[in-house]
Amino acid sequence: MSIEFITFIVMIGVFLAGCFAANLPVGLSMVLSSVSGIIVGGFIGGLDLTLLDALRHMVEGMFAYVDTILVITCAMVFMKAIEKSGTLDAIASVIIEKFHKRPAIMLCLIMLIIMFPGMITGSSTACVLSAGSIMAPVLMMMGVPMLETASILAMGGLLGMIAPPTNLPAMMIGAGIDIPYSGFELPLAMMTFPLAFAFALMFGYKYVKNMNYEEVQAKLNTAGRKEFGFRIYLPLIVAVVLMVAAKMIPAFSIGMPLVFLISAVVAGFCGYKVNLAQVGKESVNSTMAVMGILMGVGMFIQVMTLTGVRGLIVTTCISLPGWALYVAAAISIPLFGAVSAFGAASVLGVPFLLAFLDKEEIIVASALSLIASLGDMMPPTALCGIFAAQVVGIEKYSAVLKKCLIPCLIVIAWALLFIVFANQLSFLIL
Amino acid sequence: MEKNKKLISGVLCLVLAVAIIVTTSMNFLAVREVPYPMMGPSVSEVKMLSDWNPNLKDTNGDTPVYILKGEKEGGSMLILGGTHPNEPSGYMSATLFIENAVVEQGTVYVIPYVNHSAATHNDPGEGNLQYFTLTTKSGERTFRFGSRATNPIDQWPDPDVYVHYPSGQQLSGSETRNINRAYPGRPDGNLTENMAYGVMELIRNEDIDIGFDLHEASPEYPVINATVSHQVSMDIASVGCMNLLMGGIEMSLEQSPTNFHGLTHREWGDASDIRAAILMETANASQGRLRGATTIEQVLGGRDKCYTKSLELGFLYVPWEEVGHPIEERCGRHLEGIKQYSLAHNEVNPEEPIVYSGVPGYQELYLDATREELDGTHLAKFLM
Repeated sequence: MSIEFITFIVMIGVFLAGCFAANLPVGLSMVLSSVSGIIVGGFIGGLDLTLLDALRHMVEGMFAYVDTILVITCAMVFMKAIEKSGTLDAIASVIIEKFHKRPAIMLCLIMLIIMFPGMITGSSTACVLSAGSIMAPVLMMMGVPMLETASILAMGGLLGMIAPPTNLPAMMIGAGIDIPYSGFELPLAMMTFPLAFAFALMFGYKYVKNMNYEEVQAKLNTAGRKEFGFRIYLPLIVAVVLMVAAKMIPAFSIGMPLVFLISAVVAGFCGYKVNLAQVGKESVNSTMAVMGILMGVGMFIQVMTLTGVRGLIVTTCISLPGWALYVAAAISIPLFGAVSAFGAASVLGVPFLLAFLDKEEIIVASALSLIASLGDMMPPTALCGIFAAQVVGIEKYSAVLKKCLIPCLIVIAWALLFIVFANQLSFLIL
Repeated sequence: MEKNKKLISGVLCLVLAVAIIVTTSMNFLAVREVPYPMMGPSVSEVKMLSDWNPNLKDTNGDTPVYILKGEKEGGSMLILGGTHPNEPSGYMSATLFIENAVVEQGTVYVIPYVNHSAATHNDPGEGNLQYFTLTTKSGERTFRFGSRATNPIDQWPDPDVYVHYPSGQQLSGSETRNINRAYPGRPDGNLTENMAYGVMELIRNEDIDIGFDLHEASPEYPVINATVSHQVSMDIASVGCMNLLMGGIEMSLEQSPTNFHGLTHREWGDASDIRAAILMETANASQGRLRGATTIEQVLGGRDKCYTKSLELGFLYVPWEEVGHPIEERCGRHLEGIKQYSLAHNEVNPEEPIVYSGVPGYQELYLDATREELDGTHLAKFLM
């Protein structure tokens, strides 16, 4: 048995023991797992490490997620600010009033709105916490139960991250073998929009088709709209304009955290009074656990790479022959996504693209990015699942993950079909 | 009692956290000191890249440019190491050139760490070494192992999508800090674009005839043991490549793709009058996703058991024998490549030749070494 395999087993064992036997927070369990990896793979494995080296690796690894943490925290500030300002209620009531007669179209439209921030920024968290938080009350008022609403949000977040024009995992996979990000638009659109509409209808249609509008109308909170008029929508308009401006004119790219913070500040002046300091405190509190997980994950990946465990996993996954390679891609990429969807795209996406090099590479890279997106539904990080549950008010996000299991399997099957028929689908590349 | 217990454990955690922060901060600050080459026999002057782009002055993107002037007038050559400071054969070849070359005709400009900022940190998640030490003629010398991209301390945050100037090509946001996606650069751009612009200004103002960008790639990357040349220099590159092959060095030759922007072999040729824009790649075992544990043997010896397995599985684009791809072989390839391509340039441009001697080539660095010395030990004999 190789030292890398032993290290891997020990790291996983310590992580599970930390989570389940000692009931420690997930982030802390990952730290302990990383420490065990350093001890077994580094010190016992003979890597010639000093204590300072070990500390340096653990601290350095955490920096991989600084940007992600900033986006998540700022998106949460935005979400809470527009909730308190009354913007959320205003938008929900407008959408229901305008579209209640065509429930199927309304569901698809809602799904597109949820996906939009991800299509522009490439972040699933942005989808769930911004557009998702706006659409969740709409769905629930129309009669879609909390769990189904959270599932629509989560799947919308995943597919929004992958839908064109901005798909960061595809860019990362392409960059691994120097493919410019060009020609991906139509394949990505074909991979995401049909699934997105199907999932929206699958989760929501049976609840909204017989919606009693009078009942729903009575529940709509239109006070904010009446009191503040058009300006109550300004925070959302500012967020959309800043996101689109960054995409259209790169010089205006101020970064997602700042987009969310500016929009949150605007919310403070456009509706009901918002105590921004209090909103900031609440947001940091509610994202603290996720921050801890991401820091732990960064440490965990660095130790895995340092000790050769990453090499072992990647080589084992792509060494399978024929059809087993498809199975390996379908299983290993989402599993590795447990540490991060982007990490899975970069670490496993590139080797799998090389393994499928006899096929049309843009189609394959797009399909692999779709599989990699599922990492955001894989615990312990499960960013989409966690935040979707949080937005609708479900305590345990595991219920959302369970509900999304079949859609996730459909996503995998859809992506594999694209890989299998990649050469035949090359006409999609314009 | 319970409250006291919580207070004590809280204070202990805080003290531990502060101790870790202070210790590791000192370590991260120390790596900002980049060790430079010593002055070789032909070094007549050391300028800074900011002499060509003043925007770089007093930034971590400014970097020394070693000028090796021959006694006779001739052509001019540029050698870049450290485009990606996690590719050691690039900056080690540049260092070997600076410390050994005797330039007889023409002028050679060598930048050992063209992305100086990238040499001052490591990539999070990659678990790389920070340093390696070699016993040279003057004693022990320590060299940095850096990152592929500009230090985020110097340029942050990355946009979601990197849009290359001026082509508009889109790449992943992290490529914003990759200088080999930033050419031709611009003076009103970010730090990395300014570094690239500084190199372009050097090329344009010093009338550089032939330029080299020295790289390494992971063994599973398709473009490896390869030369990539702009179409303007395919004549020179073809002759040089044939001479390398005849000398027993496996080398493939590719023309720079016209639709992939920001790279030296594309933009140097497009944005200046350079006669030859050439990039070379060797195999670096410490760079890929299939690699095993991080060790000195992997970085300098070029050996890794995971790659031995990957070869059996057919994933590699380079031969992989027990000897691996030691730093002596990788630097030997680069320096022999510079020699053969510059000779080919001299044949095509006899009125402005670049003539130098004293630089160890593939034979001296690699073939003359014993198996035991192929871990940096033999290479160190050529360092001052």
